[in-house]
Amino acid sequence: MVDPIGAGLIALSAAIAVGATGIAAALGEQVIGSAAIGVMAEDEGFFGRGLVMTVIPESIVIFGLVVALILLFVTLPSIA
Amino acid sequence: MFEPQPMTKVIIAGSKDYMNIAIDAMYKHNVVHIADFVDEDEDFKIGKPHESITKLSERAVSLRSLASYLSIKGKEDIPNKYPEGAIIDTIDAKTEQLDVEVTEVTDKISEIESKIKDVKDKKRLLEPLKSFNLPLDLYTGYQSLAVFVGTLKGIPNISDITTDYELETAPYGRGSAISLFVPREFEDDVLKRLQEQGYATLPTLKGEGIPKDIIVDLDAQLTELQSEKQKSEEDLADLRKKHIEYILASDEYLSIETQKAEAPLRFATTKNAFIVEGWVPTKDLGLIQSDLDGATNGHVIVSVDRSEAVDVEKVPIALKNPLPSKPLEVLVRAFSLPKYNELDPTKLMTFMYPALFGFMLGDIGYGLIVIALGLLVSRVIKGQGMRDLAVIGVYAGVFSVIFGFIFNEFFGVEPFGHKGLLTFIEYPAVPRLDNVLTLLILTFVIGLLMLTLGYVLGFVNEYRQHGLKHAVFAKVSWLMMLWGGAIAVALVLPALSSGSGIQLSLGLIAGLVLLVVGFILMIMGEGAIGLTEVPTLLSNVLSYSRLLSIGVSSTGIALAVNKLSDALFFSKGGIFVIFGVLLLIAGHAINTVLGILDSGLQALRLHYVEFFTKFYRGGGMKYIPFGFERKYTEEN
Repeated sequence: MVDPIGAGLIALSAAIAVGATGIAAALGEQVIGSAAIGVMAEDEGFFGRGLVMTVIPESIVIFGLVVALILLFVTLPSIA
Repeated sequence: MFEPQPMTKVIIAGSKDYMNIAIDAMYKHNVVHIADFVDEDEDFKIGKPHESITKLSERAVSLRSLASYLSIKGKEDIPNKYPEGAIIDTIDAKTEQLDVEVTEVTDKISEIESKIKDVKDKKRLLEPLKSFNLPLDLYTGYQSLAVFVGTLKGIPNISDITTDYELETAPYGRGSAISLFVPREFEDDVLKRLQEQGYATLPTLKGEGIPKDIIVDLDAQLTELQSEKQKSEEDLADLRKKHIEYILASDEYLSIETQKAEAPLRFATTKNAFIVEGWVPTKDLGLIQSDLDGATNGHVIVSVDRSEAVDVEKVPIALKNPLPSKPLEVLVRAFSLPKYNELDPTKLMTFMYPALFGFMLGDIGYGLIVIALGLLVSRVIKGQGMRDLAVIGVYAGVFSVIFGFIFNEFFGVEPFGHKGLLTFIEYPAVPRLDNVLTLLILTFVIGLLMLTLGYVLGFVNEYRQHGLKHAVFAKVSWLMMLWGGAIAVALVLPALSSGSGIQLSLGLIAGLVLLVVGFILMIMGEGAIGLTEVPTLLSNVLSYSRLLSIGVSSTGIALAVNKLSDALFFSKGGIFVIFGVLLLIAGHAINTVLGILDSGLQALRLHYVEFFTKFYRGGGMKYIPFGFERKYTEEN
């Protein structure tokens, strides 16, 4: 029998994992992205490296997503 | 196999008398990348441009001003190429004649435009007065009367100053227009009162007649002027149509001649000789040698410069890839061109980029859309960059379809198998939502393999640039840590999660030994600073989990769209089916755009950040041969 509170907490944890890391990644990319665009205005050849630097903080939210996926697809079924 | 085009450094030298012939020959073949001569000294001076340059520039200026009048942008397509000979003889006379024809029309247009402006100005000034039935000449020329004609907020009240006045008002804009006549002695007081209400005087208009009638007359003039202007613009369009081929061709001809005339500015010259330093693709060396020799009767020689070791910083880079890989070059160039002694990753990306993309999108339906979009764009768009991206899109779409079959996904629905739409086709598919853990581990394995490939390529690069010892310290060390760590984690993690104790197996010992030896090698090679890089090994491998995360999110959105449209509309039937279809189309369209953008960028990132950093620095200089790709002209 599924413990509804436990299941709810797991779902909530997954939401926090994605939401909080999403905010963190956004804060990082905001700063780097605007700086990269600034450099690109001077030199269009910077696009490739600019893109690389801009997406570096994105790893944070990907990790959050992985945690959420494991919570939802591995942990949640295991208590059911 | 992964090298850029081999280049040979050449020195082209000869008598100045033959310089122009040599320039023509070099230009025609379009293969010599000239290294500009900059270090002037007593013996060698920078060459002087050909004397024709002034004349050429003058012609170019007048031709380009013509082109801009006729809004010719220089990107148009024309059906036939123009023979160069037909331009050389007639360019001056023809340009002059064209100039006369075009100036006549453009002068006329600007004359009409200034007339239109006058009429509009006049009309604007008369507009506030149009409700007053007073002829214009009655607003001026009084000795005992002051006249106020203008606009202000609200209606003025001056009855406390004088009752002896004549006021007419009419609503105008947000306030009102007035004409006010008062005896001269009250002029100052009245003006003060009016100014409190934001009074602005209208300039006095000379003329006769009632404003309303004049405006009607002006409107008629305006219509006539505008039709005249339209006619002249049609004349201009006719001129453009008639002469576009000639203008494009002459502009190209002048560009070519200017480049040739300016070429000596890049040469080193003495009193009687000239010397060009440059790079030629090794395969074209024989051609340029024999041709220059033939054209100048042996007075200009092309010799291979072996005087010093090749400075890889200075070698221009032309990528060398088979046709199917060419479009991927755009992704490598966007990062940076390889150095001359670096491996060019384009060929590897031809397979790996679409594969990673396909793994993330992984849906038969979305894949087909991506293929269709790619084919469409490559047909319609002319820009080379967009076409390259479109071809990459087609590759990526094909892989998306393949992975779509593996994951058994079609717009978020399972198409095959006993739960799917086509129950008669059954094969061992791997639905993503049911196999999250397995696929997650698979993405780590993909990451591990790609990083390994990166380190192997890095080893080759380091070996070529700095020798074996350096390559071992810099790359093998990391590879050992990567695999040692991976083996250790793979053995320890299951034991930890199942709660059984950690068994010291042979595999675990081997992994730990690899890890430690690799670590020591790395510290020996790079010093303590290398410590800061160790955690990136873990984060790089974990980063490949995005292959699954992005895919599952896209599947999730597709599933949500399908369920929503079913629950909200399809289940109700009747007219609601239309709304359901609309929701399906909109939802999947948004998900396709998101899927393409996200999968495209993330696949690129996995290459740029995780893969390239293991072996690729870039910073190569682009190979720009001296010559021209003719588009509008042909040589005789």
